Amino acid sequence: MEIKIDNQDCVTVARISGSLDANTVGNAQDMIMPLITANCLLVLDMGQCDYVSSAGLRLLLMVAKGFKTIEGGRWCLASVSEEIMDVMEMTGFVQFFKTLDTVENAMEAVQKGE
Amino acid sequence: MLRIDASPTHKHGSFNLRPGKPLPFGATISPGGGVNFSIYSRNATSCELVLFRKREPEPYATIPFPDEFRIGNVFTMVVFDLDFENIEYGYRMDGPYNPDEGHWFDRTRILMDPYAKVIGGRDVWGEEPDWDNIYPHRARIFFDDFVWEDDHPPEIPLEDLIIYEMHVRGFTRHPSSGVKYPGTFTGIREKIDYLKELGVNCVELLPIHEFDEFENSRPSPSNGERLMNYWGYSNVGFFAPKAGYAASGKFGMQVDELKALVKELHKNGIEVILDVVFNHTAEGNEQGPYISYRGIDNKTYYMLTPEGYYYNFSGCGNTLNCNNPIVRNMILDCLRTWAADYHIDGFRFDLAAILGRDQNGAPMNSPPLLETLAFDPILGKCKLIAEAWDAGGLYQVGSFPSWGRWAEWNGKYRDDLRRFLKGDSGIVDAIMQRLQGSPDLYQMRGTNASINFITAHDGFTLMDMFSYNEKHNEANGEDNNDGENDNSSWNCGWEGLTDETEINRLRIKQVKNTVSMQLVSHGTPMILSGDEMGRTQLGNNNAYCQDNEISWINWELLDTNAEIFRFYKNMIAFRTAHPVLRGQIHFQGKDYVGSGYPDISWHGAKAWEVDHSDDRPIIAFLLCGLHAREGTEKDNYIYVAMNMHWDTHVFELPQLPEGLQWHVFANTDMQPPGDISEVGSETRVEDESKFIVGSRSVVILVGK
Repeated sequence: MEIKIDNQDCVTVARISGSLDANTVGNAQDMIMPLITANCLLVLDMGQCDYVSSAGLRLLLMVAKGFKTIEGGRWCLASVSEEIMDVMEMTGFVQFFKTLDTVENAMEAVQKGE
Repeated sequence: MLRIDASPTHKHGSFNLRPGKPLPFGATISPGGGVNFSIYSRNATSCELVLFRKREPEPYATIPFPDEFRIGNVFTMVVFDLDFENIEYGYRMDGPYNPDEGHWFDRTRILMDPYAKVIGGRDVWGEEPDWDNIYPHRARIFFDDFVWEDDHPPEIPLEDLIIYEMHVRGFTRHPSSGVKYPGTFTGIREKIDYLKELGVNCVELLPIHEFDEFENSRPSPSNGERLMNYWGYSNVGFFAPKAGYAASGKFGMQVDELKALVKELHKNGIEVILDVVFNHTAEGNEQGPYISYRGIDNKTYYMLTPEGYYYNFSGCGNTLNCNNPIVRNMILDCLRTWAADYHIDGFRFDLAAILGRDQNGAPMNSPPLLETLAFDPILGKCKLIAEAWDAGGLYQVGSFPSWGRWAEWNGKYRDDLRRFLKGDSGIVDAIMQRLQGSPDLYQMRGTNASINFITAHDGFTLMDMFSYNEKHNEANGEDNNDGENDNSSWNCGWEGLTDETEINRLRIKQVKNTVSMQLVSHGTPMILSGDEMGRTQLGNNNAYCQDNEISWINWELLDTNAEIFRFYKNMIAFRTAHPVLRGQIHFQGKDYVGSGYPDISWHGAKAWEVDHSDDRPIIAFLLCGLHAREGTEKDNYIYVAMNMHWDTHVFELPQLPEGLQWHVFANTDMQPPGDISEVGSETRVEDESKFIVGSRSVVILVGK
């Protein structure tokens, strides 16, 4: 698992590649959670993420909860694979996340606050 | 804050360890880091923890419990730095092997934790397992942190409950279901709108604890198709949901998926009752496999004869030793887990009479297990429903120890209604009891003791009850010797499917007669999933092994039998709209609110007269709406005439209070749409003094 963080047009884009599971969530958490600050705009690009385990879903849920504790700020998942999307649907996690098909659409959404 | 217990004290090879906590049993992610393993065995002399990487054939580590880690009869330790998401664990136990004395220890076997919260090995339903697997059902570790938000069990009173008994897989497995995830918990979630349209407010799921669908699997002699353990009345583990029922089972996320289903059902006002099987396990008799209990402490977990053989009160090879204190606690822990972690609303106990037997198999007066469950604080609002008999001949319908908490599957309700519906004579007095919530059986317990069912998974479907005189179980491969012989069914003139319009009309009418009577009865109705669309099993009354179209619901029947569905839906709406049908206290047969009418009165062809000497199956009753809920609510007057005779009969109608008129809600003798109306749109009768009730018909009138 690897995470690359970029800033584009006031939006932080974190590109997660590889597997998000119990082995890697610790690192992922250390990198992503500090990005959640007042009025931040964050897109998690899941295009290169091939697997999200139960622990991985829980990290995403922590991100969602993190955004509830700050002033302003918006976030969105982008390019989630069909398989991961299915798992989020089956387990009910999907209700906590906003997901969009491309990074561009996700960036636009968090910028506009749609 | 740093915790001292986050530091290991011992080492085994590369594993860091420290002494564990004996409670809770099972594998728990410990707050100080590490995983706390704890397992009971009274007779084991030593124990080893065996660790596998997920799905690998051989273990990667074996860690003996050091002697100093054992507390009493509990082996416990914390193991640090485990990749808990990707491992599976089991135990090896050493101890005496002496079946005459009840001991079956075998240190070569790898045993599943009886408290395993997730069990791998049958992750995808029907996927051929590796038969050489040295550890086929594998305990896994799960982090229990589901986000329930503000979910709360609806806590619907039993008298207001309408139970829908269903099979998780069979409900949506058929391609006609149209769901994205057929045959799964998610599939049910996709069908919630259907359940709401039907109007039921509780689903009772056939066993969803982990079981082995391949147990006793074999080819069918009739078509070669594989027969499976489809119903699942054979537990591998009591604490883990069936992985194969989860679309996400292949990812090991069945716990979250089931919880998401419960949460969504609750959000829609629907409760969840689980059918739980504590009478035996999947380990079978002396020839059965070692899965868990047998190798951990055979003498504790099973009822044994003085010679060391398994008692077989379950008809399934062994009998769980329910009133052994250890097993009793396990059952309690298990139900508490389902109530607290999964927000389950109630339990139906399979062959519950076994739960009242002592360790030698003798029925007890005040069985401690049943009493414990009745008074347990965590289960305090859960429905407790007993199947009040067992395969050892103990029949306790009407006498199951209840402490005011236990309800029963009312087997007499089923039997008497079936006989009445097929037109037997001499049954009217019994029917009067059944319609009132069986006060003859439950006088002190009220109507909530009686679960009124006529069909259930075990037996004919309702349509088959009126299509077959005899069972047709050849497809089960047991020469038609399995399944109940005494069905009180009637084929309406032809055995099985027919093109005869008259016979088919009569069958549909009989289905409507049944649901009419069931939904105006006091007590809690339970309907069998699929009956509301006239489902057939082609005469198979024991489809426990049929994972195919015999058992699956064919949703096209909703079109074929649209009139049956409409009838069910409107009858459910009628029951829901009329509190006078849903009293918690039995009727008294007298007027105690000053309305001039008794709460219930009985009638025959003549108003106010029941001719008990009349052998014809004819009866009618009148409910006084001012007595609804013991006079605390106002409702309409309701009159129900039941004529199961082959001839038409004129029923003289009881006179209503001045200003009220009779309106027809249902008349099963009529073709749709005249067979039933929408609630509130009933039309006035032509003649207030009498009503012609067709042969084998039920008429429901509303006085308003």
